Formats: sequence, C-alpha cells, structure tokens
Amino acid sequence: MSSWPTETKYISHSTARIDAPAKLTGSARYSSDIQAEGWLYGMILRSKWPAAKVTAVSLDKARAVPGIKAAVVAREGEFNVRFYGEEIAAVAGTSKQACLDALRAIEVTADVRHEFVVSETEARNDNSPRVWDNAPNAPTPKVHEKGTVDTAFPECAAVIEGFYTTPVQIHNPMETHGNTVSWTDEGLTAWASTQGITSVRDGFAGALQLDHSQVRVLTDFMGGGFGAKFGPGVEGVLAAKLSKEAKAPVRLMLTRFDQALAVGNRPSSFQKIKMGALADGTLHAFEAENYGTAGIGGGADAGGGGGGADIPMPYIYAVPNTRVKQSAVAVNAGAARAFRAPGHPPASYGMESAMDDLAVKLGMDPLELRLKNDANEIRQREYKLGAEKFGWKDKYKAPGSSAGVVKTGIGCAGAAWGGSKGDRRTQGEAHINPDGSVEFRLGVQDLGTGTKTVIAVVAAEMLGLKPEQITVRVGDTNFPYGPGSGGSTTCPSVSPTVNDICTKALAQLQAQTGIADARGANWFAACKKLGVSPLVVQGQWQPGLSTNQACGVQFAEVEVDTETGLVTVKKILGVHDCGLIINQITLESQINGGIISGMGYALYEERVMDDLSGVVLNPNFETYKLPGIADVPDIEIVLINMPERGVIGIGEPATVATAGAIANAVANAIGARVYSLPITPAKILAALGKVPPSVPS
Amino acid sequence: MKAFQYATAHSTASARELVADKGLYLAGGNDLLGLLKEYLVSADLLVNIKSLPGLDKIEAGKDFWTIGSLVTVASIEDHEKIKQVFPGLHEAAAEIASQQIRNVATVGGNLAQHSRCWYFRHRDTVCLKKDGDLCYARNGENRYHSLFTGNSCISPVVSSLATTFAALDATAVVLRDGQEMRQSMAELYHRAWENPLAHNSLEKGDLILRVEIPTARTRSTYLQVSDKHTFDWALVSCAAAADVVDGKLKSPRVALGSISPVPHQVEAANNLLDGQVLDEALATQAADLILKDAKPLEHNAYKVPMAHALIRRALLKLKGDA
Repeated sequence: MSSWPTETKYISHSTARIDAPAKLTGSARYSSDIQAEGWLYGMILRSKWPAAKVTAVSLDKARAVPGIKAAVVAREGEFNVRFYGEEIAAVAGTSKQACLDALRAIEVTADVRHEFVVSETEARNDNSPRVWDNAPNAPTPKVHEKGTVDTAFPECAAVIEGFYTTPVQIHNPMETHGNTVSWTDEGLTAWASTQGITSVRDGFAGALQLDHSQVRVLTDFMGGGFGAKFGPGVEGVLAAKLSKEAKAPVRLMLTRFDQALAVGNRPSSFQKIKMGALADGTLHAFEAENYGTAGIGGGADAGGGGGGADIPMPYIYAVPNTRVKQSAVAVNAGAARAFRAPGHPPASYGMESAMDDLAVKLGMDPLELRLKNDANEIRQREYKLGAEKFGWKDKYKAPGSSAGVVKTGIGCAGAAWGGSKGDRRTQGEAHINPDGSVEFRLGVQDLGTGTKTVIAVVAAEMLGLKPEQITVRVGDTNFPYGPGSGGSTTCPSVSPTVNDICTKALAQLQAQTGIADARGANWFAACKKLGVSPLVVQGQWQPGLSTNQACGVQFAEVEVDTETGLVTVKKILGVHDCGLIINQITLESQINGGIISGMGYALYEERVMDDLSGVVLNPNFETYKLPGIADVPDIEIVLINMPERGVIGIGEPATVATAGAIANAVANAIGARVYSLPITPAKILAALGKVPPSVPS
Repeated sequence: MKAFQYATAHSTASARELVADKGLYLAGGNDLLGLLKEYLVSADLLVNIKSLPGLDKIEAGKDFWTIGSLVTVASIEDHEKIKQVFPGLHEAAAEIASQQIRNVATVGGNLAQHSRCWYFRHRDTVCLKKDGDLCYARNGENRYHSLFTGNSCISPVVSSLATTFAALDATAVVLRDGQEMRQSMAELYHRAWENPLAHNSLEKGDLILRVEIPTARTRSTYLQVSDKHTFDWALVSCAAAADVVDGKLKSPRVALGSISPVPHQVEAANNLLDGQVLDEALATQAADLILKDAKPLEHNAYKVPMAHALIRRALLKLKGDA
C-alpha cells in the first residue's frame, strides 16, 4: 500500500513555480506564441445573423486576396446557423490583414430568418420562435421530489420566497482558444491551447478520420482553460483543413470577439425558491423552479431545450421535504461548456441568498442558521474557524443597521465539490540518467495551475532531491497517458502517479546498484552505478493517496454606497480543506484566482444579448466587465491541512462560494436583497427603492 | 482595417491641406484606431498631427490657462499646479481609462471621441448613428444611455474632460478653414444634441488647437460612478466649479456627463446657486432642477438618483464640506 511521507521538506510547504523564471522573462512559449516553420495566420468568418439558412458560400474572391493561401467552408452544402457568431468559413494567409480582407470578400448567400429568440424568459413562451425545428425551446421540466412539500410549508415558522437570477458568464481565459496545426501526409501536429491534450488528439483523429498514432498534440504552456478547452473545437478542425490546403502550419487563435460568441459559457439561472424552517431554524420545506439557458446547447435531442443548465438544489443542505423542477431553455446563442465548478456558483448564490433571507425572517444570525443545517463536519469546522478569524460575532449587525450613507455588511456562504480521487489510468515515467539528472514525463498539461511544480515537489520529496533538480515535461501526447484537467482532478491524478514512479525507481535503483537507499546524499552515487544506460521507470496512479469531496466556506465584508450604489469588497476570507497540501503557494494562488473570478461573477460579468438584432452586445472587455486589480480586496486564505485524507484538487471549490458570500454581505449592508447577479450600482439603487419609473418613449 | 496612406504634418496649415476630404487626423489614436479596425470609419490618409508645433503645452496665465490639444491626459493628471488651480480637471484626468491610455491620449482626442454606444460600436448593427433607421437602444439595452436628448439617438457624450471644461466654462479654440473659432463646450457638442449622426459639432477638417480655461472659479471638482473602481466608463459623471467669496458661491457651474449627447448643464440651476451660501437643502434643490426634465428609459432610470447624489456631493465638496 502506497503512502505519503509524514516528515516532509517540500510537500505541504511552498515551492515557487519551477517555470516562474520562464514565465517572467517571456521565454515560456505559450500555444499562441508558437511560430512553426512557414506558418500562416488563420481566421474565421462568423454568421452575422442569429438564425439563417446558408444556401451558398463562395470563397473565390477570398482566395484571390493577395497573401491568402487557403480558404475552407465550415460545413458543406446548405446548412442552418442558429446563433450570432456561428462558424461559416475560414481563411489562412500570410498576414492578419490579408485574412481580414479575405473574410470580407467571402460571399455568403442565405435566407435570413427574422424569427429567433435570445432571451431565455421569452424562449419559454409557447409562441416563441423555435431554435430547433422539431423540438420546443423549453421541454417539460424534470421534477425531483421527496417528502411532502405541500403539507410541510404550513408546518414552518418562517417561509421566504425569492426569484434569484444569474447571467450567462462568458469564458474568457487570458489566452483565447486556438491552435497551430500542421497537417501533412505524415500526420497532424497541433500546438493546442488546451486542458486536455489527449481529448484534443482524439477529437482531431475523430473529426479528420486519422489514427491516434498520426496525431500529436503539444501544450508546453497555456493560458487558462476553465472547462472550455477540452477539444480541438471548430477552430481547430478548420485550422487543420486550412493547413492541409495551404501545405503550411496554420495558427488560428480566436480574437476576443470570437471568444465571446462560440466557445462556451456558464448557463444562466432563474431560480424561483420557496423555503421554510421550523422555529429553531431547522430547514423543513424547499420548493424551487429553475430554468436557464445553455444557448443552442443540446437542443437537437428529441426532448428539445438547451441541455446542461441544471444546478444542484437545494445545494449543500439537506431538507426533508423538497420539490425541484428544472428545465434548460434553448435560445439562439452560443452553447454552454463546462465552466469552473459547473452548476455550483449559481446554486450557491441562489441557495445561500435564500438562507440569509430566511435567517432575517427567523431573526437568526445567518451563520447560526448554517451551523444548524449544514451536516458536513468539515464545513462546520471551517465555519467556526473562519468566524473566529473574520471576527464574525463583532462585525455582524442587523441588516441595513450600519450608520451613514456608506454602509458595511458581512456575509458567508459554503461550497462543496464532489470531484474524483483522480484518474486511475494516469501514467508517467522517469528517465534517470547516470549523471544524476532526472526527467519526469507525464501526458498531462499545466493550465497555469502549477501542475509541473506539483510533479517536481512530489518527486523531490520522494527522491530526497530539490525541486529544481527535477526536470518536468508534460503536454505531449507521446508521453504516457494523462487525464484532461477538469473536475479539479489533475493534482490527485498526478501526485499518486509520481509517488508510484519514485517508489518504483528507488526499488529499481536498489536492485541495480545495491545501494539500499538511493535517496538524497546517495542519489548521485547510485545513479553513477547505472553505468551508461539511463534507467527508465514507469508508474501509475495508486489508490489510497488521494481523495475527493473538498469543502470550503468564504466570508465577505463589503461597503455599499447607498446613494451611488457602488459596492466595494473590503475583505474575503476563504477557509478551504484540500486534504494533503502538496504545494501551499500554488494552492493559495488557485484560491486567489477562484475568489477573484467569483467576484467577477458577483459584481461585473454578464453576457448582454440584444433581443432585436440577436447579437452579443459586449464581445469585448470594455463592456464585458472583469475585475481589475483596484477591485480586488484583501484576500485571506486559511487552509486546513488534512494529510490523512490524501490529495484533493481545489480549482473548482475555490470559486463557488464567493458570489453568495458577497451577495449576502451586500444584503446585510443595505437591508435589501439584490435578486440578480451581477450586483451593479443600478440594481443596488433599485433594491433601495430609489429608482424612478421610466418614461414610455 | 482598410489600407491607408500616412503622412506627418508639421504645421496646422499643412495638416488641413493633407487631411483634405478623405483624410483623418491622428494624435493618440485610442479612439481612431478602434474605429478603423471595426470599419466604423475609414480614411484614405491618416495625418499624424503629433508633431504640430506648440500644441503640447500647458500655459498658466492670470485670467486663464491654455492647454494645447496635444497635451496628454497623463500630463494633466500629473501637473502639480493644475491640482491646485483646477483640482476638478486633475480629478477628471485621473479617472480616464488606464495609465497606458492616459499616457498617449490627448485633450483634443478626448474631446473629439466618438460615441461608446454598444450598438454604434457593434460591427453588425446598423443603428441611427450609422445612418440606419432605428435607435436599437431606445427600446433595447439602454443601461448606459442618455436621460436627455434632442433627437431619437440616446448615445451620451462620455468625455470626462468635456464635462469638467463645461463646469469651468472653458473655451475650445478650433481651426476651421484657416480661421480660429471659439466654442463653448455647449457649442462644441450642440450638433450631437440634434443630429444622431454627429458626435460633436466639429466639421470635416476642423482641428481643435487648444482649450482656454478661465481661472475665475477657484474651486472645482469632478466625480464619477462606474460599475468598477478603475478603467471603466462613467455611468454618470459630474463636475462643478465656482469661486467662493465670503462663503457664497460666485459664478457656479455644474455639468454632467454620460446622461446626454452634450455635457448636461442647466442655467437655471447655476443661477439658483449664484451668490448663495451652499447647504444640503440648496444642493438638493439644484440637483432637482438639473434633473427635472430627465426622461429615463427602461434600464437607465438608476442614473437619476445617481446623478442627484453626485450633484449634491460635488457642490458640497466645492464648499469644502465633503
């Protein structure tokens, strides 16, 4: 049975990213930096209509533009487009401007459909235009029921009702989606900005009918995925076709405009919640109806709808009597993709808001209400520890009771993440050279989360070396299989694998060299005894070293200007458990990122669609607002190290509770609830009853 | 963007000659390059005016200061004397965009910038402002739009400097057909009030040379509220300026941005305040007057209380109370 060392030098301590110098000096080559020999720019023509039947696409004039080397259609023959921004064709050329000129020269003949719908609320109406011809936009809701809700509500001492809504959040990693693809008779090589090199390889192979062995995917450095970068994407397949036609590598990285339209988003939610508790605060009845849109989603299925917009309700709380109805509504907009903790941030915002509203009605401290109803022992511990650190008891005041125009408030919320204990198929190998140098090769990828450093830390610990003595190579499908980085599973996949490789390496070294313990001081002597051939050791994921079910709670303190509506987040405290901490500094970095991203969800981010034209109105960072450094508060992170649990991923739980905690702090400050994210100054003023009626125009 | 020629002018006369009918002036380029890249404007020739002599100076004077149109927003922000003489101008400059943009953005460009309306800026909508038939914002997504307008377009002016210059009663000196003409901020934007196609009153080939700011108003301030804390457009901005003699306001002026196609000014409110000792009640009265004729739409009515608060705060700040 594998185990982790108990006395550690690197594990559970902090090692700066091993690739920090490369990143800081710019020598790190991200996917979007790749300049393959003779490469061309690639660009995509997108639909300017939200719904149309494209009857012909002529590329002749585009091909005639100077510098253009290839042009391809996204689909052969006649086809329907169902959202603004859907791919129609692509070109490759020697300059960006040549491509832009060529896109404007493509002639598209289409029957434009003026009947379309981009609002999920409107799309639910029976007479709304259908996104998919053969299926309703909103299928019959799925109903989950337990206990007896209808008789339970009258038994409650307090009942609240609220309609909590969250917007569509657009995937905007620092590096946009895209690839450089070289497709020749020998095969296909893709330098991909991906969180899953294996799934991208399989995607290319499937789409282009190639053997897996003919496709190689490389990802040395990439700038964020967050759930939206598992496949080659339409853009990758188009780049491949362009490459084949042009007989040259094609770099097709999306623009920010493209990014806002077609490569994924977090579905919206419209949560109508009714919840009741007994006089002592015990949750007793919960009824909810939720709908949201995943864009065109999976609506082609016979059942219709957008697919993939359901959220866990009533989230982390056990309520004996519940009825939950959910449906996903199709609209003419880009489809959703997994987005950091899919389903959880909207679920946490809705449920945790309802919890605070109920606490107010019960006259209870909202933290007490959580301690009363959250059965999870780890979160109980986190709430108590966090409350102490945060000074909850001293800071908590009745809603709206702080003096002055600028009011302060506090709130908290909880997070859960199931995750998995890691991908049991994960493999890796170490190449140990007679000079003592050692290289680890794993077919995973580092999204920027610090995976390479995690590998170095575990290897250094196990071998008695320093992290900088370990060379780490990932991001190559020629390496032993590694999983896609999703579901917060990379750390619990690679750590046990590296543990196994090291255990086997030490055993092998002992067998080959006779040195009983090749670690640390004996390392170089042992390696030297290998003679001329390097030792190559393979290992794989082992059970008992990792686990799942991470828990976290977050506390927020805000100031709200009740005359201007401006919200300033003063402090966020995150208390998170992640089992055995591998590398504290990169772990904290993950939590910082999760919190800042959660702040964006709480206060700024929202895809805005125009009902009349069907376009996305804010496909840029001017009006799709993201938190800047001036918006970011003091963030304090408290980690609960539980080595006995093994390694757990933290990427997703870190972002879940932030919006709920901020929303509750705002409600506590102003004494009124803002029922929708993002919480903008406009909505604050409306919640305070300060906004006059509009004048009909 | 469309291919264009590029030339550098070394005198205002040659700049005008070069720009002719189909050229555009290029200074900081923050607005122009975006417009060109989105194919919202096109030009056969860009005339680089950054080398025009004498337009990059800030000159202090007894009765008025002169700020050249090529002075960067960052140099206004960093100017130690401006902080004392025109604190409102310093505050407005400091709120504009990001440090990188302020480093290259010019006063002339800030005043002459085009609408930020997201329908106007969108490559695939043809709105009234682009000679289309319809203002999409009017019954659409109008959270960032005007409370006041003299035409069917509700795109607001967003120049923070224009708002502040209006409160300071500054004058823009514009070169038109070889002649210098003087325009108040009201005049500089008037055409946008009545014509949806216009962003300001400038005509083809007009060149803003400088802005003259009277020193009579010894106190000034600028406030804005945005969704974010920095690098975000104002939802509403408000500038106020006055002299204070024996505790009484003298020649007060209030102007607001982002709520009208022009810097929003109400003379009746300025008159109401003139010669008065300011208190909360008077500030409220002035704010009521300034916003009296607001016509809020479905999503921008929040701007009314927000503007009201900013007017009151700006006035009280002039007095030194806030």
